[in-house]
Parts: sequence; structure tokens; C-alpha cells
Amino acid sequence: MSAYILPVLFLLLFLYCHHKKVNTYDTFVKGAKKSIPLIVDIFPYIASIMIAVALLRASGVTDLLAKVFSPIFHALGIPTELIELVLLRPFTGAGSYGLLESVFLQYGPDSYISRCASVILGCSETIFYVATVYFSQTKVKKLLYAIPVALICATVGSIFACLICKVM
Amino acid sequence: MIISSICFLLWSAPDTIVGVMVEASGGALKLCIELGAVYAVWLGILELVDASGLGQKLAHLLHPIRKKLFKVKDPEVEQMIALNLSANMLGLGNASTPMGIKAMQALDDGSGVASTAMIMLLIINATSIQLLPSTVIGLRASAGSTSPADIILPTILATTITTSLGIILVKFCSKLWKRKNSGKKGATGSQIEVKK
Repeated sequence: MSAYILPVLFLLLFLYCHHKKVNTYDTFVKGAKKSIPLIVDIFPYIASIMIAVALLRASGVTDLLAKVFSPIFHALGIPTELIELVLLRPFTGAGSYGLLESVFLQYGPDSYISRCASVILGCSETIFYVATVYFSQTKVKKLLYAIPVALICATVGSIFACLICKVM
Repeated sequence: MIISSICFLLWSAPDTIVGVMVEASGGALKLCIELGAVYAVWLGILELVDASGLGQKLAHLLHPIRKKLFKVKDPEVEQMIALNLSANMLGLGNASTPMGIKAMQALDDGSGVASTAMIMLLIINATSIQLLPSTVIGLRASAGSTSPADIILPTILATTITTSLGIILVKFCSKLWKRKNSGKKGATGSQIEVKK
């Protein structure tokens, strides 16, 4: 069922563009061109996070973290393989895509673990980054309850993501 | 964190540090190339959505919901919020950020305290109402998944749960905050929370 969503949407979009007399090819090219500057922008961030995570892994600090957090994750029903991803997600978007990739490589993209990881990433955001950037141009100093609420939602989201993946 | 792990490695296996770092950055380069391919597809599609006027239609469709959530009267601010949210829905977080910043600026009342509308915008962004997790689908496809799109429905479900939970919590907390505040300063003094 899910497999049909995108092809059908794309088809409808192309037909609609044709109907609206939009120059489909040129417009698509114009958009696609933006992808290169974008990856040039994000490469340094992805690289530094992935280097940091690789160091953490090689040094065994992640194993230590995993040991500390695994009872909590176990109780919440989140696979312990995803500890790094869930813990890093609120801080770095680029880095969590890096981790997602490594989960795909390690467990195969269609495994339960990878599906969980995909859904967790889909239903959460880099909370601290978004909060910093969005409020950076305002005079706001007090965020009140914003961060706790966001973190609660992210935790609940991760739990439900794993639950849903078990059923669907 | 990085310093502590380097210290750890110095003690356990000093000759592996540089190798590990270079290998990781090589992985990052590979990931960026894959992401470049993913973005090329989706940004092309997004450009089409924009050029055909579908983007505006989508924004218009969500007008009543936005009105209820943000209680913003200025149509220009509302337009920015609309653009921010629709980029989010298409799973293109990077594209939604500039609009979000502008909307926040417009919502700022200069009091130094975040208003409920600002927090609402932040929370909806932070719980990422993604109807189309485009980047994740793209990465799954390039990792060789047999059905990269089969996470769409679970993601929509999960994101609906988190976003509704977020909205409910914000509403609840803003009421709680207002009560606490008016209790402290008396009935007339609760100027901070202008928008409920």
C-alpha cells in the first residue's frame, strides 16, 4: 500500500504541472541544482559528528553509555541498538542522518531496527538546534516550558515509533 | 565527549586514532554524496510544487487550523508560519528554517519571554509534522531497501501522535503558567502572556 503513495503523488504532480502549463523540465532542474550547495554546506557538520561518534565508539565510551541506558530503553521498548541515535537526535540533524546510515549498513535497511530508526527520525527534530536558531533573532531569553515539552514529545515519539513498527 | 574519548584511546589504542577519524570522514563524504542525490530529487519536486501553485493551495487548506493554534491576526506572519509548516510537512527541514526564523521575529513582543504562539511554533517544528519523510526514504532507497517507502504510514502515525501531544501539552502548560503568573502578580499583572 505504502509503495504506491509516492509514484501516484509524482504522477499527479506532473499532470497538474502540465495542466498549469509549468515548464516541468526547467523547473525540476532549477530545484535539483540547489542540492549541491546544500551538501557542501552540511558536509563539515556531518563529518565532525561522524568523526566524534567514531571516536566514541572506538574508545568504548558508547558501550559504557549503552550499559547505563539500556535498562531504561529496554523498559520503554526501544531497541538498545538505537541508543546513540535517540540520544544524539535532539542535538544534530546531519549527525543523526549519519547514524541512520550506519544503522542501515549494519542491520540492513529493511530490518526491524532500521525501520524503527527511520520512523524515529521521521517523527522528531533536532530540538536544541531548532530552538537556538529560531530564537536567535529575537529578544526572547526565557523559553519557559518549551524544551521540556519538546523532549517529552520526542521520547513518546520514539516509544510509539518502535511500537508501530512492531505492528505494521 | 570527544576529548574524553581521545584520552580513552590514548590509553588503550593510540595508533588507531587517525585511522578511525579519516575513515569516519570518508563515511561522511559518501553519505553527503548520497544525500546530494536524494536532495536533487526532492528539491526538484519541491520546485515543481511551488511553481505550479500547489504549495500555496496547501497553505490555504490549512488556514483554519493555523488560526486556531496561533491566534495570529497579521496575514503576513501567518503566511510565514504557513510556508514554514508546509516545508516541514514535505520533510525538508532545511528549507523551513529561514521562514521559521522570520515568523519568530514577527511574533516577538520584546518582553524577553516566549509567548504561547512562539512556543507553539517551536513545538510543532520540534515534533516535525512530516507527511512525507523524504530524506529518510531517499537514504533507504540508496541503502538498497526493497521497499523504501513503507515507512510513510508508520511515520505519519507517529508524527501525528507526537504533534498532537505537543499541542495539548503547550495548551495545558500555558494555562498553568498563566494561573501561576496571575497568582503571583494579581489579576491585573499578567501582561507577559498576552496571547493565550
